Amino acid sequence: MGSSHHLLVFLMFLHYAVGFTYNCVKILPDSSSSIVVEVGKNFTATCHLLEGCAYTSDDIEWRLGNLSIAKQSYHRINETAVSVTINISSDMSDWLKCTAPKESLSYKPRSIYGIFLRAGYPPLKPKNLSCIAVQEDKDISPNLSCSWDPGSRNPLIDTTYTVYANVPGTVLTHKADCKQHLARFCVVNLETFPIHMVLKVWVEVKNALGSERSELQSDSSYFAKPNPPLNVQVLTEDKFPTSLVVTWKHPIDRTILKLSYAIRYRKVTSNVWIEVPESFTRGYIESFRLQSLEPYTQYVVQMRCIGESNSSYWSNWSPSVTERTTEAKPASAPDLWRIIRPTSNSRNVTLIWKAPVKANGKIRFYNLSINQNNEKFESHNITADNLSQMYSMELPAGKMASIEITAYNSAGESPKATLSIPRSDKELPGVKDMSWSVRDEKLQVKWTAVLPLPHPLKLSEYLLEWVKIPQSVHQKELPAGWQRVPKNVTVTTLNAGLEKFKRYNISVYPIYKYQPGHVWHFQPGRPVTRPAYVQQGPPKEGPTVTVTKSKKNSAELTWEETPLDSHQGFIIHYTIFYAIGNTKQWKSETVGPNVHSYVLTDLASETDYVVYVMASTEAGSVKGTDCTFKTMKYGDGEVEVIVVVVCLSFLFLTVFIIMICLRKREVIKKLLWPQVPDPSDSSIAHWSPDFPIKADLPKEDVSVVEVDVFDGKSLCEEDKGVLPLKKDKYLSEEHSSGIGGSSCMSSPRHSVSDSDEGDSGQTTSSTVQYSTVLGSGYKGQTPSHQPPAFARSESTQPLLDCEEHPDHLNESQSRSSYFRRGRELEPGVLAPECDGGSLTFCPVQEEEPSPVAEEPPASALCYMPQKSGYRPQ
Amino acid sequence: MNCHVMNMVCLSQRSQAKFRIILPILILIAVELVHPTMSCKNEKCSQLLHRSLKLTRLMSKRSADLLETYKASQGDSADLICDMQMDNVPVSTISGQTMSERILSVYTHLKEFLPHMKTVMEQQKDLNPPINPVVEGLHSMITHVHHIAQRVNCILQILQPNIPIPEPAERSTGIPPAQNIFQQKAYGCIVLSRLQELLSQAVQEQKSLKGKMCKQRTKNGSL
Repeated sequence: MGSSHHLLVFLMFLHYAVGFTYNCVKILPDSSSSIVVEVGKNFTATCHLLEGCAYTSDDIEWRLGNLSIAKQSYHRINETAVSVTINISSDMSDWLKCTAPKESLSYKPRSIYGIFLRAGYPPLKPKNLSCIAVQEDKDISPNLSCSWDPGSRNPLIDTTYTVYANVPGTVLTHKADCKQHLARFCVVNLETFPIHMVLKVWVEVKNALGSERSELQSDSSYFAKPNPPLNVQVLTEDKFPTSLVVTWKHPIDRTILKLSYAIRYRKVTSNVWIEVPESFTRGYIESFRLQSLEPYTQYVVQMRCIGESNSSYWSNWSPSVTERTTEAKPASAPDLWRIIRPTSNSRNVTLIWKAPVKANGKIRFYNLSINQNNEKFESHNITADNLSQMYSMELPAGKMASIEITAYNSAGESPKATLSIPRSDKELPGVKDMSWSVRDEKLQVKWTAVLPLPHPLKLSEYLLEWVKIPQSVHQKELPAGWQRVPKNVTVTTLNAGLEKFKRYNISVYPIYKYQPGHVWHFQPGRPVTRPAYVQQGPPKEGPTVTVTKSKKNSAELTWEETPLDSHQGFIIHYTIFYAIGNTKQWKSETVGPNVHSYVLTDLASETDYVVYVMASTEAGSVKGTDCTFKTMKYGDGEVEVIVVVVCLSFLFLTVFIIMICLRKREVIKKLLWPQVPDPSDSSIAHWSPDFPIKADLPKEDVSVVEVDVFDGKSLCEEDKGVLPLKKDKYLSEEHSSGIGGSSCMSSPRHSVSDSDEGDSGQTTSSTVQYSTVLGSGYKGQTPSHQPPAFARSESTQPLLDCEEHPDHLNESQSRSSYFRRGRELEPGVLAPECDGGSLTFCPVQEEEPSPVAEEPPASALCYMPQKSGYRPQ
Repeated sequence: MNCHVMNMVCLSQRSQAKFRIILPILILIAVELVHPTMSCKNEKCSQLLHRSLKLTRLMSKRSADLLETYKASQGDSADLICDMQMDNVPVSTISGQTMSERILSVYTHLKEFLPHMKTVMEQQKDLNPPINPVVEGLHSMITHVHHIAQRVNCILQILQPNIPIPEPAERSTGIPPAQNIFQQKAYGCIVLSRLQELLSQAVQEQKSLKGKMCKQRTKNGSL
């Protein structure tokens, strides 16, 4: 079973290898594998008809893949052979087939034969072959790394790269197969690096279309790459501030590779390397002195090495070593300047200075010497550890000062810097004009040159000063800087790191020099100052607006200028936005940057408004806080007019009423004091009591009621409501006339009667009786001169209002209205007060019980029939 | 029959003629393979001598280091084993009267040492882990001694260009027969010691050539 299976597989393979054996066509050249053809070249294949084949050469057709090849490419060799020639292109890797097609309705089988073409390019010669063996420990590594440029053309077919290396003269050759496609790098192991021998290395590239080879042959040291120098150190020497000594160790034994070295150095602050000429370091040395360096400057040093006479690759650079040269005396003077602030009667001078540009070391202290009016005034040693180097002093306006300063480091003193401050009235002229602009985020200042001054003053240079404003109280550093420019320059860029959005005052000073002795003196001229921003921004905050006056149709707004620090630019204008309530229908008014109040007009009265002010710089705007206000309902004076009118109207009304009152006095009187019917005029029948009428009873003493006034005061003067009940009782007990009836003058609460008393029999509850009728009239009314008499009225004349009501009558049974005209009682005392009061009970003076009460005089007490009702009294 | 004989003679003569043509070619190829003389022409005399001297000096130093490493790896009895005497180890003494003879002696000795070094390396592989400093050093040393021999051969060709350089017979001094471990250690130490002596002398011999060999060649008008 197994053997038959193998046989079948073998036959299938044979069938495939030989081609279409059942066909009667065959292609030459033929191959059991693909046939590699070179791109761009012509390829010719011939199709042969085998013996016994029924086809002729005319039946042969060539196809590449599924495409027929044009007949023009065919070449008929004889009756049984036809060749075809095709130009190979890179995309022609496909089957080339020769077919003899089966005719329709033919019994002849279809014949076909094919060969597989694989298009490709021959390999390119590798270029730029280079091999390198790095140092490992104290020897050169046997691993040789080779690289080359294989070219950019893809060969399309399998291509191998192999690196070979051997020492000429020896039979042993090392090789390495590079597996990558289009390899450009390979490592060949030499087992032992052939020191001091010639080494030959070549790379061979092969494919089915050819092979190429690149070769290198050189002394083996040329393939070696040593390590950087070992233990590189940089040493300083005290007495040599301009040199550094570099020491190192050889990285490899000279018997293997004798090296020469390269040294390069740079300042820490620079990126530019300075390389020591190779001729200086050519020998097999282990130290070198770098010279002509700057004192007290940090240098970075690196080293590398190479085989003697450039017989190897350069090593990498060693790690950087940094060292500072030692100090030397300062080579330049400090940069001295001053800031003068005038005070009331003097000048506050702040001396400021910078360390010498060529300090050549760390400045330890400064010696500051001040002369006033050419006399030594003071001298100070100021340590240099302060961040801000300054000294303040007072200089009277009428004095001049000369300042000298010298810097010291550990190696010595610097040249002297001098500066003169003239008297206030002797300032030298300044530049004529100055302007600034911003370029590349820096301030560029331009000014007009000063005119030449008479001898001995000479223009030395210009000085540009910048002062940050506003100056913070807590600022530690002086917010000022300065920069000197040569005298022939009138345009310069400030190299200061000016902050964005901060205001600076830029000043230009001409600096003059003169030489009174052998030392030059420097004196600044008058400055020209301009505020400037290196970059403006929108204000940090908007102004806060307040409404100072609000009227009916206008409102006055006021806002404070925001702090200068929050401006962040020059304010170009303020814009006032206002709107009614929440309508958001904003109106705006724009005012200049110096305006801080504004009157809004044409406002609606008694309306809520929202207002804010927006500050604008050229870089943007920012709004302030909202403020709401309400316009007034009335305008100016309107209220006053109304008040006056109302007052006047009231006055007129009052006067009018008074006038009416005066005119209608009688009417009012009647209204207030209605006329009481005079019982004397009543038609009531005369009623005679049991006792005879006393003719001698004085008329004026006839009284029904005697009302005592306890303390001589009117009840109306006191609280009438709190009239003691006792008194009422007393009045009822002692003075009850026993006559029933009532009067409108009586009041229920004041008509308390004691029904328990015996005199109740004198009153009648069933009949209305009129009491004693006052002989002298009622309340000042002119009484009739009829003799007083008690009379029981039988009149049907309606009584006073209160008398008409039975309930009142019930009460009236227990009440008694006492009418009495006391002799002591002045009518005018009691009556008016009562008149002014309500028609209620009126107190009367308490008197001793009069016999009249018990025994009313007959003459005065009588009832007269009253037929005709009330009559005028 | 004669004709057959004649034919046979003729065939024999033809074969001999062909052999006479092919043999020199084969010899030439063999010589080219065995004697790397052609490579010597690529270098200047002074350069050749300089590099040869540097290589020999380096190997002299390294052989000393290798001997120390070897002794350190053999245990406490290292000094003892190195004092032993063995007859079948090549001597390091340079012989000859003339410059050429002494250089030839150097060359011959270097060639003689190579098989011994290989033997020691194989023994050390068995005695110690296959990869150890002694084996690695020996492997490297063998390669470098080959290279020194090649350099010295070139020097010889310059010194005596017309005289063939005799190659020492393979295993002429004989590899010692089976040895026990102690003997192997002693053998290795003696080989390395003598090699170090040989290389030191080779340095001296080449130093002595400085200023003589290449000047002579310059006077003769070549190189």
